[in-house]
Amino acid sequence: MTIKKPAADIMQGTLDMLILRTLIMGPAHGHTIAEVIEHTSENALDVEQGSLYPALHRLEDRGLLSSEWGVSENNRKAKFYRLTAKGRKELAAATSRWRRMTRAIGLILGEVGGESAE
Amino acid sequence: MNIERFFERFRDRKRKDEDLAEEIDSHLAHAQDAHAARGLPPKEARRQANLKFGNPRTTREAVWSYRSIPWLEDLWRDLRFVLRSLVKTPGFTAIAILVIAVGIGVNTAVFSVIDTVLLKPLTYPDPQSLVQLRNTFPQGSNPFASVPEFHVLSKQTGIFQQVAAYDFGGAGLNLTGGDHPLQVQGIHVTADYFSLFGAPVIAGRTFTAAEDQPNGGRVVVLSYGLWKSRFGGQSDVVGRTIQIDGQPYLIVGIIGKGFVTDPEGDLWLPFQFDLTSQSMAHYFLTAARLKPGVTIGQANAQLKLVADQFRREYPGGRGPLDGFGAISLQESMIGDTRQPLLVLLGAVGLVLLIACANVANLLLVRASVRKRELATRAALGAGRIQIIRQLLTESLALSLTGGLLGLILGFAGVRLLLAVSPPGGLPRIGEDGSAVTLDPTILLFTLGVSILTGILFGLVPAISASSPNLATTLNESGSRSGIGFRSGKLRSVLVVTEMALALVLVIGATLLIRTFMKLEAVDPGFETHNVLTMAMSISGDRFQKTSGVAQLVRDGSERLKAIPGVVDAAATCCLPLQGGFGVPFDIVGRPKGDAPSTGGAGYFDISWSYFNALKIPLLRGRTFTEQDNGAAPGVVIINETMAKKYWPNGDPLKDRLLTGVGMGPLFAEPARQIVGIVGNTTDRALDEDPGPNMYVPTAQIPDGETALNSKVAPLWWIVRTSVEPHSVVAPVSAALRDASGGLPVAHVRSMDEMVAHNTSRQRFNMLLLTVFGASALLMAAIGIYGLMAYSVQQRTQEIGVRMALGAQASSLRNMVIRQGMAPALIGVAIGIGGAFWLTRFLASFLFGVKAWDPAAFIATPLLLSAVALIAIWVPARRATRVDPIRALRFE
Repeated sequence: MTIKKPAADIMQGTLDMLILRTLIMGPAHGHTIAEVIEHTSENALDVEQGSLYPALHRLEDRGLLSSEWGVSENNRKAKFYRLTAKGRKELAAATSRWRRMTRAIGLILGEVGGESAE
Repeated sequence: MNIERFFERFRDRKRKDEDLAEEIDSHLAHAQDAHAARGLPPKEARRQANLKFGNPRTTREAVWSYRSIPWLEDLWRDLRFVLRSLVKTPGFTAIAILVIAVGIGVNTAVFSVIDTVLLKPLTYPDPQSLVQLRNTFPQGSNPFASVPEFHVLSKQTGIFQQVAAYDFGGAGLNLTGGDHPLQVQGIHVTADYFSLFGAPVIAGRTFTAAEDQPNGGRVVVLSYGLWKSRFGGQSDVVGRTIQIDGQPYLIVGIIGKGFVTDPEGDLWLPFQFDLTSQSMAHYFLTAARLKPGVTIGQANAQLKLVADQFRREYPGGRGPLDGFGAISLQESMIGDTRQPLLVLLGAVGLVLLIACANVANLLLVRASVRKRELATRAALGAGRIQIIRQLLTESLALSLTGGLLGLILGFAGVRLLLAVSPPGGLPRIGEDGSAVTLDPTILLFTLGVSILTGILFGLVPAISASSPNLATTLNESGSRSGIGFRSGKLRSVLVVTEMALALVLVIGATLLIRTFMKLEAVDPGFETHNVLTMAMSISGDRFQKTSGVAQLVRDGSERLKAIPGVVDAAATCCLPLQGGFGVPFDIVGRPKGDAPSTGGAGYFDISWSYFNALKIPLLRGRTFTEQDNGAAPGVVIINETMAKKYWPNGDPLKDRLLTGVGMGPLFAEPARQIVGIVGNTTDRALDEDPGPNMYVPTAQIPDGETALNSKVAPLWWIVRTSVEPHSVVAPVSAALRDASGGLPVAHVRSMDEMVAHNTSRQRFNMLLLTVFGASALLMAAIGIYGLMAYSVQQRTQEIGVRMALGAQASSLRNMVIRQGMAPALIGVAIGIGGAFWLTRFLASFLFGVKAWDPAAFIATPLLLSAVALIAIWVPARRATRVDPIRALRFE
């Protein structure tokens, strides 16, 4: 059975980076991470929260995150994710990649933005 | 990425999934808490949380599929399903696998020979730069060289790094000393031979340049095999001496195990050429290693100039149009065996195609039986691609299993065949095919063929079965969901194909069988029954002069004739069917024209009783007598072809011949009187017309020639018996040992065996193609039988109705036969056309039969039609036995 890939898939690398960025503040569970991403982006990145989990598990498999079950602020059982040293390094690299890219895109848009591509 | 981490992903999927489910529950609970904190009622809070999260199942599936290799799991699932369904139909599975195994088996068999003979590189270092040097003539070329030619070629340092000469050890040597003398293959070589071929020296050294000069001393290098068998692999053998033909030889070195020569040699001796020799006797081969950067094409261009140099240095030594050439050593070893092997590969390719058509047919039947199952699966949501994939998995499972079985059958079969009926002259296959080994190339070939086969026979049925026509299929009742029009037509096309391919193969086989029968019927010109032949190596000092050999021949003949059961005995340099030396001659008193000599003919030195022992008829004049000895005037007898060719009108018995013209002083002798004309014998192969031959008494040939003969060929003894020839081997060997002072004999064979060996290649090809043709015929018959049997079964009801309405049994039978014979006859017609086009590739293997042999092209189609008729007859009869009542109730 093949599953239709969500259109947001192209943002996968970006989502990974946002997750890592969120966790730099300290360990958090899935719900918190989703809330933080949504709030700090002023609700611009409104994705189905379910799509967060494949990303979390992928990052954990890559060794960028570690996880353990704990008790949340609501006194509920929750799985907490924590940034590993490797994850920190990856965040730094991803952030600088992102900066370079946005700068490049910005340059291009700034130069040819006025003229139509047609 | 770290491997362990990579696999971490696929581990514990079940546990991780449960973990995730719990995690999702936790997430939803937290989300609900958050909504509740904003004042939503619990139910609405829960709804909002679920809405925001999306479908938890989707999330879990996304993680699950990320943790899997989807195609591998689909494959595994398909495979388990396929295996279950194959096991449920053991009859179908067994037949399909068997048919594929035969198809792939014959391909593996032929390919393993092709791999060994044609494809594997030579085992010498840098084999691409090794070339065989050849003498070229306007009519062709041959690989034999003379000492002056070797001398000139070995000086061409601009083309070659190294040049070496070697013979085939044809004469054999006798290891004397010790209790039992042993005849061995001693290869004469020049000093550079070992480094040219990269022979691994495991002890001692090879010959020095000084040892390879005349009077360089008696030295020998042993092969690994002889070192082990004769010396038990003792480490101190180097420096010891062995007795060869009564003379002590110093062992200077031992060559390692992996060094392959063809034919195998037991030991090596230095040639010790006298490079000032003017002898034009061609009795050895030369190979060379090209200088780095020199191509074979460039070498050949340079060798044109070398021919001019040769003519300057040895005036009269070569004709004005003769030259030298170089071909790759591998090409030279492969020789003319490439085409027969490729023809065989073509033939087995056809067998495989027929097998594919057959299995495709079976699969079509199976698919039509399973139509409802497939339709149900499609209705439940299986995509067309998934159904095709599942059916292809099934055909691949069949073809791979069949391929594995075929690999075993084919490989075992080819080894058995090469051991039981070895084809003469197939190079590089080792003793009884021992060089044909199961290597990665063959495994890869069989795997590739299996996969290709599986796709070939599986794809068409799969596509046709997957065509979505759910409603009609599901609405049809179970037992009647019969063969649809489309797949019925497809099956007829497959039967047509099978018949056509089978016909091509059977016509090919028929042509080869006819060729073989014609060969068997060829009169070799002498009486082959009750003749025993054997070889004696006479390389010892005693036999370097003609008188010594003549003495041996006299003594031996006398002792042999005294043995009970022996009728006559003779000795010769060369047996019929093996051929003699080619020697130029002049007819005294005739002008030569442009040519260096009047002509060339086969040259046999024989003892006086040769013609009588072989029962070669004397046509005119007289045969030799014991009195034609060294003291008597020189005489020669010629064969019928020579008489007709050179004396179309005159009388040969009035003329004298000068033999060995231009071959140097060793062969110089006074002219010989022609005293007789004998019937032709076949001297090389039965399918070649006899050439001109001259026979001279062994006692009369020049000493130099005797000395050379003793190096290049053994003395052959011929014994005619009144009893089964092999029954006198023991007394004959004993008599010859006594006559020769203890020399052993080897290559003991009856003349009938030699004839069989002479046609072994044709027999090999014929046997193989007959097996292929027969299996093709059988498969085609099964195919057509299956088609008609199934069609009759499917139409039971229709036939019942026809019978109920009063149709005659005979007309029903004829109807079935008509419908079955239509595709069979179309196939035969196409096959005749195909065979007409394809048999041209067989033309060079045929003898006495034309490629469009009318007998083959008429009898074979009739045979195939008859087989098809029989295959159809059985279901046709079944149709007439249909009980209308039961047929109508069949529903």
